Amino acid sequence: MTANSSRVFRILAPITGLLFVIILFAAIPPHHGVTILQLRTILVHAVIVAIAALGMTLIIASGGIDLSIGSGVALAGVTAALALDNNWPLWAAILLSLATGTACGLYNGLLITALRLPPFIATLGTLGFYRGVAKWIAGSSPISPPDLHGLNKFLQPQPPPDLEWSIVAPGVWLLLALAILVAWIMRSTVFGRNILAIGGNETAARYAGISIRTVKTATYALSGLFVGLAGALQLSRLTQGDPTVAAGLELDVIAAVVIGGASLSGGTATIAGTLCGALMMAYLNNRCSLLGWPTFVQQMIVGHIIIAAVAIDVWRRKRSG
Amino acid sequence: MNSRTRQLTAILFTSLAAILPGCGKVEEVPAAKPGPAARNNSADSGSSTSAPSASGDKTPATPTATTAKLKIAVVPKGTTHDFWRSVHAGALKAQNELGNVEVTFRGPEREDDRQQQVDLVQNLISAGYSAIVLAPLDDKALVAPVKQAAAVNIPVVIFDSGLQGEAGKDFVSYVATDNYKGGQLAGQKMIELVGGKGRVLMLRYAEGSASTALREQGFIDALKTAPGIELIDPKRYAGATRATAQETSENILTSTSDFAGIYCPNESSTFGMLLAIRGKGLAGKVKFVGFDASQGLLDAMRNNEIDALVVQNPIRMGYLAVMTAANHIKGEKVETNIDTGVALITNATMDSPENKDLLDPDLKKYLGEK
Repeated sequence: MTANSSRVFRILAPITGLLFVIILFAAIPPHHGVTILQLRTILVHAVIVAIAALGMTLIIASGGIDLSIGSGVALAGVTAALALDNNWPLWAAILLSLATGTACGLYNGLLITALRLPPFIATLGTLGFYRGVAKWIAGSSPISPPDLHGLNKFLQPQPPPDLEWSIVAPGVWLLLALAILVAWIMRSTVFGRNILAIGGNETAARYAGISIRTVKTATYALSGLFVGLAGALQLSRLTQGDPTVAAGLELDVIAAVVIGGASLSGGTATIAGTLCGALMMAYLNNRCSLLGWPTFVQQMIVGHIIIAAVAIDVWRRKRSG
Repeated sequence: MNSRTRQLTAILFTSLAAILPGCGKVEEVPAAKPGPAARNNSADSGSSTSAPSASGDKTPATPTATTAKLKIAVVPKGTTHDFWRSVHAGALKAQNELGNVEVTFRGPEREDDRQQQVDLVQNLISAGYSAIVLAPLDDKALVAPVKQAAAVNIPVVIFDSGLQGEAGKDFVSYVATDNYKGGQLAGQKMIELVGGKGRVLMLRYAEGSASTALREQGFIDALKTAPGIELIDPKRYAGATRATAQETSENILTSTSDFAGIYCPNESSTFGMLLAIRGKGLAGKVKFVGFDASQGLLDAMRNNEIDALVVQNPIRMGYLAVMTAANHIKGEKVETNIDTGVALITNATMDSPENKDLLDPDLKKYLGEK
């Protein structure tokens, strides 16, 4: 299999998988006409997972992992809520949220590169640390800023009347723009190529003169930026900075990236795949609700979709390799 | 080499022994021996009838009750909801009135983490508290740790949410809101609000939560008295946080829209549903009855987005639970079932003086915050 056809497969496989799942579950009676509200809801529910997953895709492509994402989202959301609560303007609160997320990512990156800790362990540690900090600064209860300056309109399934022109929630467009940007970074910049090179073969990348430490640290910091954004969006959704929110989000995010066809050993990952993974989970959540299936059925299904995605990947590698 | 290994092992065990009781965050000499607490197999296998009696007889676990301070651990379901802060305030109120009691308030970080609560209770048992006051996250998962406590003569008072077993035998007493009655109250109000006819949507809270299941059942049974009302129960659970409740509500609202009223059985599910109907422009148009109160819910009630809230009395609950534990240790006879009461609040009654004290208590005064 040539490099080019392999690439086409990597992008087509998750899209085909997404379509397959949609058709399969839409075929189960009772049939509901697809409403615009349903589409809007699914898209909105995919946004926070997908935004965080953009950064996670880069990290996984580099052969790393970040378990601290859920805690980072809660911490960033709480800082933004505290800022608004102290009458900061909206832009400053969002900037603070982004800065918090980036700082979390940078710290993860430094632990991994400077202390040479395995990413799994370093971020397992910061998972607890960031969650603790979030609870500490929030005084263990949610922060409800009196005025959100319209932030709460950003990610609602039904856009408010003054944002009706946006068709779907503005946050969905933001996700799309960022996805294109990150896909471009991965494909067409030196930084992006270096990430994939390190994930593919770290020793070879080192001999090729790539500064492993710099690239890795920058990858975690950039992913942190997306975590900060996801935190601001979580605040937008919930209208309050809740220090307990997004517990376990990292697992949904990793699932989205893996369903999207990324290999946990690094070197291969696509943004299109990651988006498909996030959409698939939001779709199943909505569809199971429509079908009146209990929550546990959905968990059993999603579990096996992850297994199937990886099984297909393993089978394909064996065949081509 | 061999002696070095032995030395290392010895150091390891000594440090473990030093660390383990520290997990319970206590420094005094424990009254209970950690041995029986760690051996939980006997407690697990025994049927509920063979559980050692922790109550009834008047031989208190701590003979020094009158001289030394009683250490009572209060274990809520979570620590972040306003409700538990009120329970904490009530517990401290009891501590202040009793004088010779020291209350420690520790809970699991998440409201659905049963394992964390089981571990916590086991740590408290090994730390030798005089009594444990527990709001079980699950009516089965916490049965074994409560038996362990009984095995080392640490009395347990269950509050807020039920535990399988018999009050007065398996544990000292059950101090709680009559949740079924609260659900009925909500149901009767709903019938009145929608004029006795139409479809009514109910969002469930979480699998295995006994208190909210009773609130759901009470509501369902009350609606049965009104033949014109059709209950819609999608059997979807809101989950532990406001964010999961919001997502579940939004998904339900994509398939179900034609209803006259909505009912949710606790604070986080009510808040999540509130956000969802706000997002859909339904807030204020559909009748909405919730359970529990928080600032966000009260603001919504003031804006007529929520029509009624069934509220409990968490301060009274925390107070009575600690009082019951303390009285039991002192050897007094205590009631085995204590109802802490519910009230129905509406926009018209929310500012009355007695409700004001129920809804907006000066927690900081009790909790000693700035």
